Amino acid sequence: MRILPAVMCDLEKELEVKRQRIESGEGLSWLTWFSLILLISWLILPLIPLAVWSISRSWFFPDITPSAYSLRAWSYVFSNTSEVLPALGVTTLIAFCATIVSAVIGVPAGRALGLYQFRGKAAIELLILAPTIVPGIAVALGLHVVFLNIGLAGSYLGVLIVHLIPTLPYMVLVMAGVFANYNPNTEAQARSLGASAIQTFYYVTLPAILPGLLIGSLFTFLVSWSQYILTLLIGGGRVVTLPLLLFNFASAGRNDITGAISMIYILPGVVLLLLGARHLTGRNSAAESLRQI
Amino acid sequence: MTNVSIENLVKLYPGRSVPAVKDVSLLIETGSLTALLGPSACGKSTILKMIAGLLAPTSGDIRFGDHSILRLPPEKRDAVMVFQDHLLFPYMTVAENIGFGLKMRRRPKAEISHAVGTMLELVKLDGMATRKPNQLSGGQQQRIALARALILRPKILLLDEPFSSLDANLRLEMQQLLKSLHQEMGMTMLFVTHDQEEAVALSSKIALILDGTLRQYADAATLYGQPEDLDVAKFFGAKNFIPGISSSGHFECALGRLTLPVTANSNGSMLTFRPENVVIGVTDSAENSFHATIESKKFLGNQTQLRLSKGGTTFDASLPPLIAAPLLEGSTVSVHLPRQSLWALP
Amino acid sequence: MLERWKIVLLLSPALVIIAGLFLGGLILGLIGSLGYMPLLGREEFNLNAYRNILASERFYLSFLLTFYIAFTSTVIASLLAIGAALILRRSFIGRSVINFLFQINLTVPHLVGAVGILYLFSQSGFFARLAYEFEIITKPSEFPALIYDPLAIGIILQYVWKEVPFIGLILLANMQTIGRDYEAAARVLGASRWQCFRHVLLPLLFPGLLAAAMIVFAFTFGAYEIPALLGQNYPSALPVLAYQAFTDVDLNARPEALAMGMIIALLSVIMIFGYAHLARRYVRS
Repeated sequence: MRILPAVMCDLEKELEVKRQRIESGEGLSWLTWFSLILLISWLILPLIPLAVWSISRSWFFPDITPSAYSLRAWSYVFSNTSEVLPALGVTTLIAFCATIVSAVIGVPAGRALGLYQFRGKAAIELLILAPTIVPGIAVALGLHVVFLNIGLAGSYLGVLIVHLIPTLPYMVLVMAGVFANYNPNTEAQARSLGASAIQTFYYVTLPAILPGLLIGSLFTFLVSWSQYILTLLIGGGRVVTLPLLLFNFASAGRNDITGAISMIYILPGVVLLLLGARHLTGRNSAAESLRQI
Repeated sequence: MTNVSIENLVKLYPGRSVPAVKDVSLLIETGSLTALLGPSACGKSTILKMIAGLLAPTSGDIRFGDHSILRLPPEKRDAVMVFQDHLLFPYMTVAENIGFGLKMRRRPKAEISHAVGTMLELVKLDGMATRKPNQLSGGQQQRIALARALILRPKILLLDEPFSSLDANLRLEMQQLLKSLHQEMGMTMLFVTHDQEEAVALSSKIALILDGTLRQYADAATLYGQPEDLDVAKFFGAKNFIPGISSSGHFECALGRLTLPVTANSNGSMLTFRPENVVIGVTDSAENSFHATIESKKFLGNQTQLRLSKGGTTFDASLPPLIAAPLLEGSTVSVHLPRQSLWALP
Repeated sequence: MLERWKIVLLLSPALVIIAGLFLGGLILGLIGSLGYMPLLGREEFNLNAYRNILASERFYLSFLLTFYIAFTSTVIASLLAIGAALILRRSFIGRSVINFLFQINLTVPHLVGAVGILYLFSQSGFFARLAYEFEIITKPSEFPALIYDPLAIGIILQYVWKEVPFIGLILLANMQTIGRDYEAAARVLGASRWQCFRHVLLPLLFPGLLAAAMIVFAFTFGAYEIPALLGQNYPSALPVLAYQAFTDVDLNARPEALAMGMIIALLSVIMIFGYAHLARRYVRS
């Protein structure tokens, strides 16, 4: 899954946007409203049957609404015997670890790309960008044999490592954007005022990049959270994450349980959107960084 | 040719309580080069955008000749605007940029390319036709933007701070160019600036806008010498303000009973005169002459500024440094204020 | 000199991991597709895998189907996204709510969308039930097959559903950067609303649109789970075919799977370079 890297809108830009909105103060014609509503309904529509299915007991053709409701699917999902809770744990753990590793390795790399100009920078950016575009299946098929040989195939660690292919470049690109708007002279100022390197990082650098880092981490988490084919290939069916479970229940026709798992599965994304909706519409985007090629 | 008249124009931006433009009326004569002068955010650009059709006025009217143009969309108005940032389309060549307006009017290709050639010559950029805007210097870009507008020979050319992003020398050069283009083409031009020197250098008439209101509409000399009120006077750099009362051609104040020019306000309460018009030492004329003490003296490079006081009231005078050199602080000098240099404000 | 070492130090962990995993995976895939698999006891290079797949009708059908799906969904999603962005950048009452709803499926995983599409458009799905309610059909099989169908309509619907907000937001961000001044300049120079869009806004948006479309195309060409859930068995989308070959009990199919992986990778690399080339020629500012 790809998402727009998050963005820091500085206050000035926001004010500018507000000004433009006011200046162009125009309403919409009814035809425009109609097509807008149609589009938005289309975007939300597929989520509705999932939610309804998760609380329906029987919903047979040709009923428009379920003939009986129950929380059966939900009690199954949360029961000790179902695979859903362990899968939820595994998915969360892998996504969390992938995010931490990506942040620890990605922040320095983002700093180098955001702050410095050097020979070969374009080539390095291309290398970092490529994994976000080249489909994972092409890479994972090749890695599988080696992972099998060194005992990583079918292990949590193996899945975690292979998840770094999409998450790490993503984090690097986000942090490069954050550091491009960062003034490193504040660090020199802190050092001249007597701060040590560690103090400088903790009191000067970190607070400055923290908003970007947090949003970037949330999205990185989501990138790992949505992986399917990488987990399937490298996990070999032994590492069961939510999407794998969801796929199985969906193809087995267990619509009620599928609906309930879907609701759980989309939860972090929706929460993230609620938290970061303001930052999404900003200037920096995956496509923007592509322009640097 | 047609006059452009603005009548009782008001613009209130949604969500604001104070209008950006308050009841402005202005008649711009055919073929004139008029300046809308004022500090930044005083509403002058808003007026320009309303004429261009980029903003709708809250009330009031804009007429070209007898016809209101308010209902016309921007592209039908025949009022072309040149922006502060040149806004050349980056993916088009210089020639394509200049020919843009004619292309939008679906003129034949041959006609467009001929007109573009003429325009390039006019702005002295022949040979640049196939370049992209980013290969040009700032001054060249602004000249292309000018050519792109001039080629359409609009009823009125609107210029929004066209030269303010250029450096000082380039700005003078562009002002020269604009002035000569205006004379050559005889086009009506209205330009916005916050730089009073630019307004004075370029335009035949200046409309001074302060806080969204038209405060005075006159030629430069009038604005300097006969400002209508204190704000106008201060905007044009007047320094000395002496309170008092004017009565029958005279002004009673701390400096004595001074004779005013015949054109002066009859009910003034504030006297103003420019420091450079104060005459020191030579007193042929008894009119408007008195003695004052030099309180302080400041050398400012191309002039020396004296602070003088009489009867507790202080005022400034500026003299060429060589002439001011022998004058010492604390000494008393005779002062003459030529009648024509005085102006009484209400 | 000091700065250079600093840059190297900052970059190398990330580069080692990305190069190792990503380039490593691709190179291993390439070697494997050439038949060299020492772990499976094969130590010679040959082009048999490519020869085999290029000789099979199944591969061609899969390739064409995948290309058709990717191309169609990218074009439809781009067009809808342009329209949506043009509306959403204007100011109107309720804009912030609409904006939020527009973004909502951006964070919803593809797989969930695919299941949702399945429940909406299958022959016993919501729309089939609506059709029955209005007496357009009398039994599920009369509802047109939109899932597991040869035209892959369900798959395309899913991609369009997911990618319109993605492309739309990139375009909105681009529009915000471009601002409205260029359009204002065009309007006063005599361009009508349509001319303004056609000759000014669209060319300015073009690099961003192209980049977004390229990302979407590469993704839809290489995605596995959506065609696996919504697609027909024969021909199947290329990633599905590759996965099937890879998990085949016959180990001889494995180089063919890797070869198909290489073809998928090659296409996305062509996309990247094609975009870079076009963007460089188109605008350099």
